[in-house]
Amino acid sequence: MNDLRFNHIANRLKLALVAVGLVLLSSIGARAADVKVIANSSVSAASISSGDLQSVFLLDKDTIGGGHVLPVLSKGGAAHESFIKTYLGKNDSALQAYYRSLVFTGKGSMPKTLSSDAEVVAYVAKTKGAIGYVGSGASTEGVKTLQVR
Amino acid sequence: MLNKYVASGTLAILGLSMGLHAQEFKALGRTVQVHGFATQGFLHSSSNNYLTMDTNSGSFALTDFGANASTELTDKIHVGAQVYDRNVGHLGSWRPSLDWAVADYKYKSWLEFRGGQVKTTLGLFTDTQDLEFLYTWALLPQAVYPVDLRGENIAHIGGDVTGRVKVKKLGSFAYTAFGGKQPSDMRGGFVYGIASAPTTPVLNGHMTRLSSYGGTSFGGDLRWQTPVKGLLVGSSFLAKDLTTKGTNSYWITKLVVVSGPYAKYTKADHTTGVYSEYTFRNFRFDGEYRRQQRETSTTQIKDTCKTSGVCTVSNNASPSSYDYRYGYVAASYRFAKWFEAGAYNSRYIAAAGTNWDLPTNHIYDQAVTGKFDINRFVDLKVEGHFMSGNGGAKVDRGFYPNDNNGYANVTDMLVVRTGFHF
Repeated sequence: MNDLRFNHIANRLKLALVAVGLVLLSSIGARAADVKVIANSSVSAASISSGDLQSVFLLDKDTIGGGHVLPVLSKGGAAHESFIKTYLGKNDSALQAYYRSLVFTGKGSMPKTLSSDAEVVAYVAKTKGAIGYVGSGASTEGVKTLQVR
Repeated sequence: MLNKYVASGTLAILGLSMGLHAQEFKALGRTVQVHGFATQGFLHSSSNNYLTMDTNSGSFALTDFGANASTELTDKIHVGAQVYDRNVGHLGSWRPSLDWAVADYKYKSWLEFRGGQVKTTLGLFTDTQDLEFLYTWALLPQAVYPVDLRGENIAHIGGDVTGRVKVKKLGSFAYTAFGGKQPSDMRGGFVYGIASAPTTPVLNGHMTRLSSYGGTSFGGDLRWQTPVKGLLVGSSFLAKDLTTKGTNSYWITKLVVVSGPYAKYTKADHTTGVYSEYTFRNFRFDGEYRRQQRETSTTQIKDTCKTSGVCTVSNNASPSSYDYRYGYVAASYRFAKWFEAGAYNSRYIAAAGTNWDLPTNHIYDQAVTGKFDINRFVDLKVEGHFMSGNGGAKVDRGFYPNDNNGYANVTDMLVVRTGFHF
């Protein structure tokens, strides 16, 4: 009787482990990002680490390579979803909640948010220190593309 | 009265949702951001009245709103202020108050200074507890974030030193050290609780009315964003030194009353807490545990007034000691962009040294919630509460003698709350 019960529990544990493994594998597969990180020409850096990118967009860090930077977000879309999931580790509602928690406690301002890749590129091109992201197929004339390390 | 509450809350939310979106305007060459929020709730309980509302009959007296403006003075200096107003049963009384007004200087990500009236960073949600749109819950776990006592920990007039340090492979550590004066919430549950016990003359009993309370508070918070994706753990500490003043009346007979000054001094008031939060995909788990130890001494009309015939004001012979324990665990899951659901178990123990199972020594609350995100700015929550215990006379929160003609041991409650923010 005890053996039967033990086997039953062991089988359940095996199933749970397999499920956890599958979930972890699928999350690794989702890391491929089809976005370009762009910056105003005043940003001296040619590349940025993924950790710094996260810090800039979570408003922890406001300098890159000694120069002031300003994050610029997209309102939605595939590039936005891919960027925030890959580099910020949040979905859109969690990210908005994070920004609002700062805005409504006096700890920060809401970053500039624009509706399309073209608007992001145009804003980044004219704004000193601006750093944003667009889909990999978007035209990036007038801005520099940062390599993410 | 009911109509007034409903009308005010509905108008606030409708007016905001029709006319307002996040606003930006230029002033003196700088961009100023304006944001705001409003909520309206309805509560109906099976027995005890809760949070100073007539919940047993059904109450709409849960309304609050706030608005802020902020700007960047330089790349490093951020300034702003927020006004907050609420009417929660007998609390708040629609009187607007300054919620926060801060100037923030960020030297580096690891060193930042904040001064003014600053929201207190203590555990997961102390500073954001009014922002219902951030949470699954219509009411946050009341053991840790009591609506009636929000004014006790929510802000300090003073300063913070804060920052975040990244440590390779170990995640990051965010610290905050704070100190200052605690703003007095004269329309909050603390003052209401003291004034409501008792509200009518009691033979050989005291009745107290407060004129002021306040003092210093300082503490710190350290949180570790661990290398395990989505896992945060933290710890916080708060110490207070409060003085409460007012008048105290003592009835010798039904017709003879002696009045004198009342004062309560804090000899020690320390709160320590630990907390954790874990998010994985659409799951979210969090929990907190706190212990508050307090020792006070009170000056009031001597209890021996009647028997001795000498009515003097003096210190109590021995200070009063309190040992509160409280915490919660919560889990929620987002099923769709427009819907998430969750549950929590919140526990409050009034006197850790006595039997925790006594209904007069605890308030346990199990809540189940469904949250509907109607759009990006408006939500609606439906929440069931299954509470046991009432804390009796030992508890200065949730259930007040003034609102209840004796206490039931079990209270079930429905809460419906809607909110808007921009």
